[in-house]
Amino acid sequence: MRKSKKFAFPILACFLAMLLLVTACSTKGRASDQDGKGITTVTMWHGLTSIDLDNMNKVVKAFEEKNPTIKMKLVYTESSEGSDQKLLTAVAGGNPPDVALFDRFKVGTWAAQGSLTDLSSMAAESGITKELYYPFAWDESSYQGKLYAMPMDTDSRLLFYNKDHFKEVGLDPNNPPKTIAELEAAAEKLTIKDGKRFKRIGFIPWYSQGWLYTWGWAFRGEFQDPATGKITANDPKVVEALQWMTDFGKKYNVEDIAGFTSAAGSEEMDPFISGQISMKISGNFTVKGIEKFKPDLNYGVAPIPTPTGTNFTTWSGGGSAIIPKGAKNVAAAWKFLEFLGKEEGQTLLNADSQISVIDSVNDKYGYKDDPIMKEFINILPNSHNRPVIPEGQLLWNELASATEKATRGNGTPKENLDKVTETVNKALEKYDK
Amino acid sequence: MAKLADSVRVNTIPSARKQRALRKTNVIGWLFASPWAIGLLCFYAIPMLMSIYFSFTTYSILQPGEFVGMSNYIDLFHDPLFWKSIYNTIYFTVFFVPLSIFFGVALAMMLNMKVKGMAVFRTIFFLPTLVPQVALAVLWMWLLHPNFGLVNGMLAHFGIDGPPWLGGEAWSKPSLILMSLWGIGQAVVIYLAGLGDIPDEYYEAAQIDGANWFQKTRKVTIPLLTPVIFYNLVMGMIGAFQQFTLPYTLTKGQGTPANSMTFYVMYLYENGFRYFKMGYASAMAWILFIIVMALTGIVFITSKRWVHYQGK
Repeated sequence: MRKSKKFAFPILACFLAMLLLVTACSTKGRASDQDGKGITTVTMWHGLTSIDLDNMNKVVKAFEEKNPTIKMKLVYTESSEGSDQKLLTAVAGGNPPDVALFDRFKVGTWAAQGSLTDLSSMAAESGITKELYYPFAWDESSYQGKLYAMPMDTDSRLLFYNKDHFKEVGLDPNNPPKTIAELEAAAEKLTIKDGKRFKRIGFIPWYSQGWLYTWGWAFRGEFQDPATGKITANDPKVVEALQWMTDFGKKYNVEDIAGFTSAAGSEEMDPFISGQISMKISGNFTVKGIEKFKPDLNYGVAPIPTPTGTNFTTWSGGGSAIIPKGAKNVAAAWKFLEFLGKEEGQTLLNADSQISVIDSVNDKYGYKDDPIMKEFINILPNSHNRPVIPEGQLLWNELASATEKATRGNGTPKENLDKVTETVNKALEKYDK
Repeated sequence: MAKLADSVRVNTIPSARKQRALRKTNVIGWLFASPWAIGLLCFYAIPMLMSIYFSFTTYSILQPGEFVGMSNYIDLFHDPLFWKSIYNTIYFTVFFVPLSIFFGVALAMMLNMKVKGMAVFRTIFFLPTLVPQVALAVLWMWLLHPNFGLVNGMLAHFGIDGPPWLGGEAWSKPSLILMSLWGIGQAVVIYLAGLGDIPDEYYEAAQIDGANWFQKTRKVTIPLLTPVIFYNLVMGMIGAFQQFTLPYTLTKGQGTPANSMTFYVMYLYENGFRYFKMGYASAMAWILFIIVMALTGIVFITSKRWVHYQGK
């Protein structure tokens, strides 16, 4: 017993020393960002896989060739809620990456928390201006007039319709519905209902990308007052849109539709691919899935119908790159963002995958000659972005829940949207101070 | 006896040298325990105590926030979604925990019969617990699909028009309970051990007294199984109150339809990590702590009346 105790201290000392060494290593790793040869290592967190990762690697390669003093280090962090949590802890802990890929939708929230680096002056110096991009992409990257993110890619939402189904019921497959009334008439013709079960449903307004944002803007409503920045979810036009959705649901019985909306499969089980729904609102991101799972699907896309059949619009989101507050190599990180945001980087980044935020790049990809893709591109100049506010996520969830409540007959559209407006504006108050 | 005398001697006549040795042993002991002790302090005790303080602030993780007193708690009591999430969670607990005990005990009794190949049957019922919660969610989404799901397909075979399951406001929570019941293998194993603990003599005595199967179950099996039931009741309740992974995966964090699947911890997570209202979320966590503590306390107090330990 005595003897073993003699060794206890040395063993313990060794153990503690090792522990110290292990922790020391990790801090050392960061200190050597700038090594003796004058090369700066810029760490970037991303959630890219397959083709998008390949593209990003091409961007990095081209960038490093032009900037021999900067080395990019790509670190994969899963692309989901989880990656945000990692970034959150890293920023809070004062040890963030130099660059992180980021959903533009969250720019308002993070900027209001003071966690993003203001890029405005660097952008001005590098000649990066709003005119380069689609207006919504720039707006969604800015908060209170300052640029906080470099837009990378985008998307848009359109009406998808199955041409074979159109032919089958005697509708013109080359003349998809333009007005809300035409949409309703087509939906009625296309629906085959057997008791409570739909053998085929013509259309569900809120299915897939049919958010209240989609219809609110289609009905020419506004969700935010540009002058005061206050949320106006109870804009009469938005109420009208939700009323229409509610009436549509009533006609086909909401509980029966619920079968489709909540448990509908994705990928190859997508009801549009399997022909169980004839029309849906969806984004360009589902086009690849159709090509993969049912390349011979005879479908078309058209602008989302509006009450008047004119003034077509949509809304867009997309990814961006940000420099978190507390990043060590802001100047070098900006160099990369600049490259990413200019035409050369954009061309490499979105090839064969996404829609670029620069119109000329989409032209270069030949999207404007593709019968499907051209519709998505052509609508972009008139596209909206969701309001950039500190409580963007709250507004999103509130709108989704109001849509659900109203369509299920739980309060009128007006009541529900009044409540959304009140809740979100109240939450926004604390940021005005 | 000699050992005892020795220790007494040490205690009564402590020499200075011995005391020093004792202190040194203590220090070494603590040093060895330090990784664990430091870990417990840093990653458990301190954050937990800090969260009490945070619950009185507008802390957002990214910003320290300011002290707002009880305002988080007051806001919570005026938050309809908070009440909805409590209702959902209690609904789930009230139905799931008793059902899981009933089915768990029933299954364990079946799996306790002396039949050939019992190991295989036991394995079959235990297997679902090995399925990760996320996989379980996806699997059941397919099974319970209102239109093409196996369950409704089978019901349709018998001419029954199946419910919308996860798609219907009234059916979503029952569906979740059904899914959760599928994974009670863990509890069954514990019940099986409990059943194995019941001595055969009791059954023999009951047999001689002419008790039938039902009487034996009621008067011998169930009472002697109560310690295990008690354990599973407490653990099941705590687990049910913390329900998160399944509904979160099923609804992609949205709690659809119509917030009928927004459970307490889901709403807490949403507030903390998506709305950046960590102070609010901390307040929610402490309210949950109080609820769970109170319920566990009640179960413990009543347990004296209905839990029977063998040999007492």
